[in-house]
Amino acid sequence: MMALSKGKINTPYTVNCINTSQEDLREFLFTLGCYPGEKVTIISKLASNYIINIKDARYSIDEDLANAIMV
Amino acid sequence: MKIALAGNPNSGKTTLFNAITGRVEHVGNWPGVTVEKKEGDIKQSLNPKKENLIVVDLPGAYSMSPYTSEESITKDFVLTEKPDAIINIVDATNLSRSLFFTTQLLELGIPVVVALNKSDLTEEKGIAIDIPALSDALHCPVIQTVAAKSANNGLPELINAVITVVRSGKKQVALNIGGVRNASTKEQFEKADKKRFAVVNTIVAEVERRKVSSEKQTLQDKVDRIVAHKWLGIPIFALIIWLVFSISQTWVGPWFADTFVGWIDLLYESVAALLGEEVNPVLGALLLDGIIGGVGAVIGFLPLIMVLFFCLALLEDCGYMARVAMVMDRFFKKVGLSGRSIIPMIIGTGCSIPGVMATRTIKNERQRRTTAMLAPFMPCGAKLPIIALFAGVFFSDNSWVGTSMYFLGIVVILLGALIIRQITGDFSRSYFIMELPEYRIPSVKRAAISMLMRAKAFIIKAGTIILVSNAVVQMLQTFDWQLQVVAETAPETSILATIASPLALLFIPLGFGMWQFAAAAVTGFIAKENVVGTLAVCFGITNFIDTEELALVGGAADVSSVMGIGAVAALSYLVFNLFTPPCFAAIGAMNSELESKKWLAAAIAFQLSMGYVLAFLVYQIGTLATTGSFGAGFLGGLIAVAVIAGTIGYLMRKGSKKEQSLPEIGVVKA
Repeated sequence: MMALSKGKINTPYTVNCINTSQEDLREFLFTLGCYPGEKVTIISKLASNYIINIKDARYSIDEDLANAIMV
Repeated sequence: MKIALAGNPNSGKTTLFNAITGRVEHVGNWPGVTVEKKEGDIKQSLNPKKENLIVVDLPGAYSMSPYTSEESITKDFVLTEKPDAIINIVDATNLSRSLFFTTQLLELGIPVVVALNKSDLTEEKGIAIDIPALSDALHCPVIQTVAAKSANNGLPELINAVITVVRSGKKQVALNIGGVRNASTKEQFEKADKKRFAVVNTIVAEVERRKVSSEKQTLQDKVDRIVAHKWLGIPIFALIIWLVFSISQTWVGPWFADTFVGWIDLLYESVAALLGEEVNPVLGALLLDGIIGGVGAVIGFLPLIMVLFFCLALLEDCGYMARVAMVMDRFFKKVGLSGRSIIPMIIGTGCSIPGVMATRTIKNERQRRTTAMLAPFMPCGAKLPIIALFAGVFFSDNSWVGTSMYFLGIVVILLGALIIRQITGDFSRSYFIMELPEYRIPSVKRAAISMLMRAKAFIIKAGTIILVSNAVVQMLQTFDWQLQVVAETAPETSILATIASPLALLFIPLGFGMWQFAAAAVTGFIAKENVVGTLAVCFGITNFIDTEELALVGGAADVSSVMGIGAVAALSYLVFNLFTPPCFAAIGAMNSELESKKWLAAAIAFQLSMGYVLAFLVYQIGTLATTGSFGAGFLGGLIAVAVIAGTIGYLMRKGSKKEQSLPEIGVVKA
């Protein structure tokens, strides 16, 4: 298990857990389809932001969030 | 019949709403533009039988499960207002996520019609959707739509389908998702929602075929890597804003303004001829110099504002602004905000009021209030005439003036956020996640409509608030306290001059300690356009724009000599007007979003201080650099600035000593 921030570009990872004490973050990510068992792919790393693909959409997330998504 | 529009953010709800009602609500190709529900009647061409059809546009949502923090305006609306039908707008390129919300809507017992929007994009992305199968699976009609297109967009079919399902009187059948109906605890709901996603996945696997998997790199991703690049992101943003100001102020704007001002001149002359020689001079002056001159001076800048809004609408439509939020996130994070805060600021470039309202979707209270307090620092459309006037008179129409004011606005916001974070002692951080919309070719038609709407609002404002303000200023300037007409040789005895003069004393350290400027700054709180109008009336300049020279501000040398200030003081005055509190209407919007009188008072005090300190720095440093010595009133101003800085410093120290609870992390949604 590792943080998504350590992941490689263009490699589909499977979400293992969301490592945060913030329940609402976990819930919000769930509604986007980012929950244990689902796929997430890093499209680009830009400065301290990541562009990721969940289901069929692109999202911009920050480093903190990339550290919280465990794959 | 009441129809609700619901769907994920940026699925095109407001575009569809505008298309079926003929209204022109603000749309943008990024998530979170709509924060309030909006109502409208379906336009006649889509409603040939003239039925009573009301549509309600709701803000976007990804989910409406209980226990999730997603704001459930949708749920509240459905429960309290009981619409007859729901149009669920689904982004055809993103079924796998969108249908999650759809399945929840199906459980409300209200007929649902799915509008499969952005259907034109599926083909180019190699997606094939089996519509009848999807309709069967969801137990509701599915209609392909392209709300952004004006013809052949599927909208008549959509409205027909809605009317048909409502007429049939059948209850909506929900999907069979085990455990949803009996769920009462959080755990049960979570379990049910997992099943819900599983059901959605099964449906999508059945009805959707993708030739290209969505996680493959596309051209769009390449563009993202350039425009959101670590080092290139900011210069590209600056270049784009510079282009916007150049086009509106230097290249296209003046050309339109020229024709326009010709008409105003014509009006002035024909009214003058109509009045003739015998008319009462006070009445004549009120009509000609006060109303036509003052309002005309403001209206003269209308073409410029229209071109600016046209460019901004194109930018919002193409999807670039969501990337700006991503680029700025890094900097905003350093001062305790996030990229989410840039959205209200970009909206605020048009007008601060919707900008302040757009802060509503920011969850963290300190971040929301900070953003609402600082968003008015962006140069709004009403401030543009001031920028254009001073750029024209003192800086020979350079577009760097507008661009630098835009970026100075951002810097001031960052600084302000830092100060507020220290004062409140709230060091919580927020996660930032924002959906990136697809780039698309911006629609010229939509931009033109948005531009015309702004122009209409501007003209209405000019014909009401600005007209009255100018007439009042003209009267106050004409009479003294004994209600005698002021002699031309003693303008300083007028009511206006005697009221404004004490205030002007405060402005001496800022370089513009003259009652005319003080009066204009005060009328600016009513509406920022008034600054230009009042200056025109007070200095007796009927028109800033020269029709002969094709220059935005003709006879710049004349105007600057009439005003009697230099370029440094002019820049200082510009800065003062841009960074003091916005107009009363925007303060009203701040009041409702801040939800605290204490915060409102602090916000106004902070904005006043910011304007004063910045103008002081610009004038004194500028004067020192150009003449080698400080400007007038340096010592007095320095004391005032020191008091302000001391107060803020004290509050910051007090704030940072507050009991530190564990830093709370709030998610920011877009």
